[in-house]
Amino acid sequence: MELVAALAINGLVWGLIIALIALGLSIIFGLLDIINLAHGDFFMVGTVLTWFVFSSTGNYWLAFLIVPIIGLVLGALVERAVIQPIRGKAALSIVATFGLSIIIQETVRATYGAAPKRILPPIEGTIPLFGLEYDVYRIFAAIVSILAIAGFFAFLHRTKLGTWMRAVRIDRETALAMGVPATNVYILTFALGFALAAFGGVVAAPITTVEFQSGVDVLPFCFMAVIIGGLGNLPGTVAAAVLLAVTEGIVTSFADPTTARILSLCLMSAVLIVRPHGLFQGATR
Amino acid sequence: MRTKINGAILILLGLFLVGAPWLLDLFGVGFWLDILTEILIWSLFAASINLLFGYTGLLSFGQALFFGFGMYGVAIGVEKLGLGFWPALGLGMILATSMAAVTGALAVRLTWHYFAIITVVFSLIFYFVALSAKWLTGGDDGTPFSMPPMFAFGETEISMSSYTTQYFFILTVVALAFYLKYRFVNSPLGLALVAIRENDARAEMIGLNVYLLRLTSFIAAGALAGLSGCLFALFGRYASASYMFYHVSGEGVVWTLIGGAGTILGPVLGTALVIVVREELSNVWEHYPILVGLFVILTVVFAPRGLMGLWNSLMDRIEARFDGGKTPTPMTPGGGKHTRDTTLQSATVRPELET
Repeated sequence: MELVAALAINGLVWGLIIALIALGLSIIFGLLDIINLAHGDFFMVGTVLTWFVFSSTGNYWLAFLIVPIIGLVLGALVERAVIQPIRGKAALSIVATFGLSIIIQETVRATYGAAPKRILPPIEGTIPLFGLEYDVYRIFAAIVSILAIAGFFAFLHRTKLGTWMRAVRIDRETALAMGVPATNVYILTFALGFALAAFGGVVAAPITTVEFQSGVDVLPFCFMAVIIGGLGNLPGTVAAAVLLAVTEGIVTSFADPTTARILSLCLMSAVLIVRPHGLFQGATR
Repeated sequence: MRTKINGAILILLGLFLVGAPWLLDLFGVGFWLDILTEILIWSLFAASINLLFGYTGLLSFGQALFFGFGMYGVAIGVEKLGLGFWPALGLGMILATSMAAVTGALAVRLTWHYFAIITVVFSLIFYFVALSAKWLTGGDDGTPFSMPPMFAFGETEISMSSYTTQYFFILTVVALAFYLKYRFVNSPLGLALVAIRENDARAEMIGLNVYLLRLTSFIAAGALAGLSGCLFALFGRYASASYMFYHVSGEGVVWTLIGGAGTILGPVLGTALVIVVREELSNVWEHYPILVGLFVILTVVFAPRGLMGLWNSLMDRIEARFDGGKTPTPMTPGGGKHTRDTTLQSATVRPELET
């Protein structure tokens, strides 16, 4: 029973981090109509940058500030160079982001190296939770993720830029007529998507291994959250990420992780075929 | 003009492929025969993606699933069931094609993003299944097998253990498959597929059964991918789950797109180019995939029709220059009915349908 509880809480923590990353994937899809196969690598870039910041300054907290900013800049550059020229060509965008994914992974392998590294959590120690000793950092990671998700939704609904983002998504032509600079909104959206994934990387860096391939595992999970939650349905994405991770965590306690992954992939294909707009269709939008 | 140039290039290519074992030896690069064999097999895989994407307008990121089923069909057939060469090949083809029929029946109900995603999901599911079913597939280590002879006449055996025999067997099969694909896409069935690619709503309205046609194309593409998987298993004498991962499908898409989707020779050209670059550069610069990625993005941004597209527009310009006097273009301002028709058509075609 304690094992199940531990795995369920692990799933919850991981699910909240995935929710953060998947939100980025979801806004990029919802607004730009792009299937971003490089999104897992944006996360990986976040973990690797954290490692660089931590090893050069010795201060882990600095990464929380610097890495998302680098993510914003990189995202804006990528949007301008790669995504803007192929806007409106959905199939080509999948291929372009696949090429981007190759470039990012190889560049990291060339600079950071191929060997996986570990970062020690900045907060050590454990606290008792449901009868087991639980890492404080994981609790902290969950809280930070919740705050970041809440902050993102506040940005989307309470600020001018966020309103612009929603407006361009609902009706680009009308938004343009109202004076919304749609092209800049596209750049902002992609940059935010990159920054969210990179921030997820900062939070997750101490609880995963930091290596150039870590995005390959994260990408399918993010896609599952986005699909099951409904493409472009942001609250649905968050709910699906948490639901999936907790379920996988619990299934892992009596079956091996591969079986758990196969089960959630089957669930995802069922959702795609039966309810292509996600489980929470109609809840928002 | 164009048919003459293209025909000449095709004949030269055919001559080179037939004479390759001796030609490569002559220049002292005999080991390239292996790479050439690999290019042939992978270009068949790219042709499978091309049939779906270039001719039917469905981007599949999961063709590696059928490649993997072909591989495992041959490997398990030989190693676990003790089948001979031809029955094992048949088993691989049957497995891959029936898998394509089952997954296709579900997948082609969806289009665009959803289709691309569900093909990835299906291939991921079976990738994980192949990893965990160690008793059957060998998991991470894969299934190696020893090559059974192709033909046996009493004492004398013909088998793929000779590099030249292997090369010619694979060349024959690949050439045959490409000929069949050529006939397929130029048949009324193939033209119906192109109609669906251009505008599925209109295709439906003129009475085409879009679902059934897409499924047919999916199964044919699955069979092509399965055949390339069978050949690759025979070539490498083993099968492994790693070839079912979506990165393999992605590479196939990249080859197809660089070469030019929607053309018969485009996938061959793209595959050959990327593999030659890999072989030449991987020794010099370990991180050569950066170049491949850059090339992909440049192709997508500047030449979305690929190298064959560039070649065709070059041919267009040459033709316009040489035959310009004989056949005046109807695109004169205020021209005849023909001009108006084409403008009307291009205005209603949805922009994302461009391939």
